[in-house]
Amino acid sequence: MNRHLLVAVAAAFLAACAAKDTKPVPKADPPYVFPHSPHVDGDVDCKGCHGAIVRDVKLEARVRHVALPKKNSDLCNGCHDDKDFRDKIKLAIPPRTRAFEVRFSHKDHLAKPGVTCTSCHKELPEAGQAKPSRLSMDACTACHKHQADYAAGRCTPCHVDLKRYEKPVATFQHAGDFLRTHGALARPTAESCAQCHDQTYCAECHSATTAPARQSILYPELVQRDFIHRGDYQSRHTIEAGANPASCRKCHGSAFCDACHSQRNLSANTPLGTALYLHPADWLNKGSKDFHGTAARKNIVACAGCHDSGSSAICAGCHRVGATSIIDGAPMPSPHPQSFISKHKGEDRTKKGVCMACHLN
Amino acid sequence: MRTTPRMIAAALALTSAASVRAEVIEASATTVVAAGQQLRGALANQTPELDTVAPVYELLSLQAHELRNPLFQNLEVVVAGWASYDAAELRWNTGSTQNFTGDLSTGYVRGQLFSRALTLRAGRSFVAAGAGRMLQLDGADLLLRLPGGISLSAFGGIPVAQRFRTRAGEQSWNPTGGDLAYGGRLGWTLPFPGAYGRALDIGASFVEVTDAKVTFRNPASYTNPAAPLFLTDAGGGIVRQDAGLDLRLQPVASLILTANGTYALAAGRLAELGVTALWTASRKVFVTADLKKVSPDLFLSQNSILSVFTDKERTDLGGGLRWQALESTSLGLDYHALLEPTGEGSKTSLGHEAAARAEWEHGHSRLGAEVTYLVAESLTSEENGYVGGRLFGRQELGKAFVTGDVQVHSFKQEVNGSKLAVTGALSAGYALGGGWNAVLAGRAGVTPFLEQQADLLVKLVYNSTYRVREVK
Repeated sequence: MNRHLLVAVAAAFLAACAAKDTKPVPKADPPYVFPHSPHVDGDVDCKGCHGAIVRDVKLEARVRHVALPKKNSDLCNGCHDDKDFRDKIKLAIPPRTRAFEVRFSHKDHLAKPGVTCTSCHKELPEAGQAKPSRLSMDACTACHKHQADYAAGRCTPCHVDLKRYEKPVATFQHAGDFLRTHGALARPTAESCAQCHDQTYCAECHSATTAPARQSILYPELVQRDFIHRGDYQSRHTIEAGANPASCRKCHGSAFCDACHSQRNLSANTPLGTALYLHPADWLNKGSKDFHGTAARKNIVACAGCHDSGSSAICAGCHRVGATSIIDGAPMPSPHPQSFISKHKGEDRTKKGVCMACHLN
Repeated sequence: MRTTPRMIAAALALTSAASVRAEVIEASATTVVAAGQQLRGALANQTPELDTVAPVYELLSLQAHELRNPLFQNLEVVVAGWASYDAAELRWNTGSTQNFTGDLSTGYVRGQLFSRALTLRAGRSFVAAGAGRMLQLDGADLLLRLPGGISLSAFGGIPVAQRFRTRAGEQSWNPTGGDLAYGGRLGWTLPFPGAYGRALDIGASFVEVTDAKVTFRNPASYTNPAAPLFLTDAGGGIVRQDAGLDLRLQPVASLILTANGTYALAAGRLAELGVTALWTASRKVFVTADLKKVSPDLFLSQNSILSVFTDKERTDLGGGLRWQALESTSLGLDYHALLEPTGEGSKTSLGHEAAARAEWEHGHSRLGAEVTYLVAESLTSEENGYVGGRLFGRQELGKAFVTGDVQVHSFKQEVNGSKLAVTGALSAGYALGGGWNAVLAGRAGVTPFLEQQADLLVKLVYNSTYRVREVK
């Protein structure tokens, strides 16, 4: 284990946290202060307050893109002609603190024929409203045919960051038994997953090789999460491995199983005399209901939990070519299934270590 | 043994140097102190020992996005790692014989070129697409998007081994093992007009993993004591050599069909076949149906002698239903029939896997209940299974929260001499402010392996996102 790497990870983390030109993201902006709807109803020109927007080619963080007219301007006086009102209203637009979520050029869009503010902004925030009136993506897709981008999960040219969305939209929803189905969905479109999820998220469950501990152990408070192996999995693991042995092998190599089995003296790698022998009494008797050959054909992955030593597994001791039965001294029959023999018939056995472990030259 | 310390170190150096100039930085640090007991040793009919373990973990995660640079678009660096110290006995799965250990879970640099047509990534990451099947590699991969909806991806690297140790298949926790992996996927996407998401995706993929050399017991050594005990085959061996096809079809907005098949070339058999249908029947009803066939032996390393003894397939078939019965209440039901080999000729047996789930969420409260049922073939002639029940809940109390979680499993056959396992966990947390949270959790239970189980966990978490973005 290279301790320097761990130190480097820690240093990198501290360097990032100590970054001088970064500021934590505030939780929320203050409520809106301007009543939009009466002004829209009164046909007040949006550009009266948002005049600069027609020149903006980008959305700037912390900028409202608004400049209120000066007091007693003609724009306001058209309706607000009473002196009391003008003195009473002390409107101050608070600065925007949230980052924008899309890349957008108002200049390019407003220059197009027929495009007005209300082409996209169907609903505007009102005074006292805490959350912004979000634009529906329909506002974009009414003109832009992004089928190919959408289908391929290419969101980043327009969307800045999809991670903040709590629930996926439309076809990317994670409904049903998503734990079971997400793999099938990810095979053709893994890049779509990457639009919202960094691989650190995938690694929480999938990196059994490098993980410090099970997620359900480290995060017991996340009771709503569909963690696999929750609770007393030790007692259930042989049952679940019997039901779906291939599933185990998607994350765990044989040595992972053996790391625990060795501690319980359950491993073939445990020194002779200390191993716990858990197989049934008639494990070696051909014809018995618990014959090991039948069990191996049924679920060879279970054997691998203790006996997978590559080409040198315990099987070769008895099943190698030329060996005889330790029970009756008869020559050992071929343990290969018929499909294996058909596939490998005529192959040069001296070229593969896995063959040479049994087939003497 | 092949290692990649230079590559990882380079990625880390990039992170520390570049993170101060990133547009978005997400950082997370979690300190966990846990204490409990684990079983050790014992021969048959002897009582095993109980060891007290008290690991202290520090988990760090750092994601810097949109790094300013003159070459790449969307340049990002993602690093997640951890270190631990076993204050008492070594826990069983430490992956090391030292008290102090750690690992890098994820660590890569990723960027895009040519108006995002080419995506490059280097470091420690997963290959997820096609036959790659979440292969964790120290290496590099690329995705090239060509006109006409065609995409080409390729990857190469070394399968990750735990704690930066040997890559050799037999000793690696990586399910793939081996010391070299490479492959890719050729895909084609045809979007359909109309509702967004409607499209056809087709892909063909390939993955090969090899071992540079294979060491094996000299068969002559069984009968000739003078013969060398082990021999090495320098020609290496194929660990995995799979070709895959995958398909995703969304003919209408509410229906997604997927299909994938992986063919093990070296064995000449189908390793995996899956067909799934996902149907959003209404805004409140979601239905799934799926069929899966697998050959578990083809998930073993093909240079393991265990890969030559069987060719049995398993099939599971079933589906599920989710119903948002009320705004606050959702119900779910899943069932799968398991067609399993008995090991005797082509005979199969029928297993069952079922789950029902109800969840209620209102305001700051959440309650859930689950019932699970599983009956399947065991290694011996007796099938085994369980009926399980789970109740969980979470209540937010301003800056604090409490959670509870109780699980009960009743086994069909005895597991270590017992038919019942009961475990429960209680957690309480408090938001300290500034991105800091504290959690205290305790777990207790009675299980087949531990007559009395009690674990304690104390956790301090820091999560924060920093943005200095000016959107262009």
